[in-house]
Amino acid sequence: MSWALFCYIHQLRNGLGVTAMRNYVSWGLYISTFVFFIGISHSGTLVSAILRISKQEWRRPITRSAELLTFVSLLFGGIMPIIDLGRPDRIANLVIFGRVQSPLMWDIISICTYFCGSTMFLFLPMIPDMALCRDRSIVTNTRFEKFKKWLYTKMALGWTGTKSQWHRLENTMNIMTIVIIPVAVSVHTVVSYIFAMTLRPGWNSTVFGPYFVAGALYSGSAGVILGMAAFRKLYHLEKYITLKHFDLMGRLVLALTLIYAYLNLNEYWIPAYKMATGEGHLLKDLFYGDYSKIFWTLQFGSVLLPIAIMSFPKGRTPLLLNITCVIIVIGAWVKRYIIVVPTLLHPFMPIQEVPNDWSHYFPNWVEFSITAGCLAGIFLVITLFAKMFPMMAVWEVEEGVQIEHDRLVAIEIRKKREAEEEAKLFDHSEVPQEAIN
Amino acid sequence: MKEKLIHIKSISNKIVCILLSVALFINISNAQDSAAAPVEKRAITMQLAFYKKADSTKTIIATVKGKSVTNKFLPLRSMKVNFYVQNKMDQVLLNSAITDASGRAMIDVPKILPLDENLNFTIFSKIENDSVYQNAEEHVHFKDANLSLILLPKDSTQTVKATVTEIDKNGNIIPVKGKEIKFYVKRLFGMMPAGEDYTETTDETGVATFSYPKDIKGDEAGGITLIGKIQDDEFYGNIESRAQAPWGVVLAVDKNPFPRALWEPHAPFPLIITIVTLFGIVWSFYFYIVYQLRQITKEGNPNVKSSHV
Repeated sequence: MSWALFCYIHQLRNGLGVTAMRNYVSWGLYISTFVFFIGISHSGTLVSAILRISKQEWRRPITRSAELLTFVSLLFGGIMPIIDLGRPDRIANLVIFGRVQSPLMWDIISICTYFCGSTMFLFLPMIPDMALCRDRSIVTNTRFEKFKKWLYTKMALGWTGTKSQWHRLENTMNIMTIVIIPVAVSVHTVVSYIFAMTLRPGWNSTVFGPYFVAGALYSGSAGVILGMAAFRKLYHLEKYITLKHFDLMGRLVLALTLIYAYLNLNEYWIPAYKMATGEGHLLKDLFYGDYSKIFWTLQFGSVLLPIAIMSFPKGRTPLLLNITCVIIVIGAWVKRYIIVVPTLLHPFMPIQEVPNDWSHYFPNWVEFSITAGCLAGIFLVITLFAKMFPMMAVWEVEEGVQIEHDRLVAIEIRKKREAEEEAKLFDHSEVPQEAIN
Repeated sequence: MKEKLIHIKSISNKIVCILLSVALFINISNAQDSAAAPVEKRAITMQLAFYKKADSTKTIIATVKGKSVTNKFLPLRSMKVNFYVQNKMDQVLLNSAITDASGRAMIDVPKILPLDENLNFTIFSKIENDSVYQNAEEHVHFKDANLSLILLPKDSTQTVKATVTEIDKNGNIIPVKGKEIKFYVKRLFGMMPAGEDYTETTDETGVATFSYPKDIKGDEAGGITLIGKIQDDEFYGNIESRAQAPWGVVLAVDKNPFPRALWEPHAPFPLIITIVTLFGIVWSFYFYIVYQLRQITKEGNPNVKSSHV
């Protein structure tokens, strides 16, 4: 991260000329990474909100990590466009002099809204856990322990677990669960609008909104599986995050990959069938030109191969599923690059009378360093969070255990009753002997 | 065995000696060749043009082309061209200029130049002592003349009177007859000929009259810039004069051609309403949740030691 900071200072001092970006490719690795991070941020919404709303009990041990992944990927995703600015000191001008009719403005508004919502969505289920930490933390003389105690006390908001507090918490969580879903969908739709509302080959598409949302959900849920597996291994959570969770998440990712594959087909097949002049150059470059190797590797490697693997129960076991999810996540990142860069290199007005290197793009060491620094930042924030706070919603898991216990008891009682009724039906002692005869 | 090895060694030594001798011979002969044949400098061509503009500034432009490795004459960039003026028997350096990508080097010429007995001035352009190209020289030999444009009093014909004059040995202004003047209209990126037949010749009084067409598009006030030019004349070079005239068709400017453009100060009203409504709803929920959190805090007791989780 220090190296990335050094590179960023170098970029600030010498301008964007130190990157490989030039007049034509002004959105390179930074904006591709921005779109990727925003996509990953959909994981929290999907796993936490959608599974919560559909009352999927198995979600309980993994919601916290999903919500955290949303929070940090949004945090660093939001930083990427600022890094892409040559003069970040003028960022306020975007708001002060921004035009409401600009999709860039919608993007700023929706990402800020989603970030605030995601922060609340992460924080709300943490309140009872913070109270638990506050009450059970050991008071020692070390500064760090004192700080932790103070932090837990502040974040617990004086939680005592009264009926009224539980009522308010459940109420707010229900509201956030419903509100955060359209906000999340709007964010990635608006991100797609930045591309789709320009007249450029490859981006001039009506399917871009759902295409981006589906791609985000598919990569985000794969990211959740990776996070889930990492925390399971590091904190020995095998008791809570079981093979069943991997199987169910694998099914979910499989379903999302199928949707994504379908939209992928629409995105490329329709313009390829028409082969309009402007689009044609780009599509030829993707299908059998400079980018064909990456393009086809992505289509087969990160879409069709995961479908094939996850279709079988063995493919949804932790090891294979994790390998598949790594492929999906890397593939999703490269896919964003393939969406952003080749289009910029194929404008409707042909590139001419510019230095030769302007018509090609590959990120240089400055861009790779800064992007890697941001990725490291994500891991750092997750690690710090895991050091400070419970990585599972303790009360939710406990509640789940209680619900499961109640369910089992209810089944037991029902079975008992059924057995009794059955016994009654076949109990002939009370029937008069005459009736039997 | 040992003898065999010594024999092989001696043979290999001989081969190495022979190869070294051959290499030395080739090297020496090449060196002799290169020393004997001096490097031949490439050929060069130069064209010179003289321009006198409407504001009486005089410019001289040299266009330089050099022979490339493919034996084609191509514009030469970054060549130093020296410009001289003939003053009696001497050539006085006026200035130097470096050619641009199109091989053009240009200088402004002083308004007053030394003249010969026929009132002509001579300007030389030279490329001297270049390491790759041969020396080259070109000159122009012209007489100073004036071209003026006068709009005739406004009538339906939109006529302009162009007068060409020069100064004789006695200092008198005399008309120049038989000179072709071309008439243009200034456009944004160049000059447009004023009609299909846009050339007139001066009469004995040095005057040529030309009627401009009436369908030329002007600015918002109907103004156009008229240009009269003597082009590539063997005695006078290029002379240009300009005049403003309200003879153009008034340009109707659409003051708001892109009402939905991003740079427009006001967004479409339905868009504002939609965005404000959608995000207003979301943020009102957020505020409600913050309010609920505040209520939870109020209801709580920070001193409590056990939570009922």
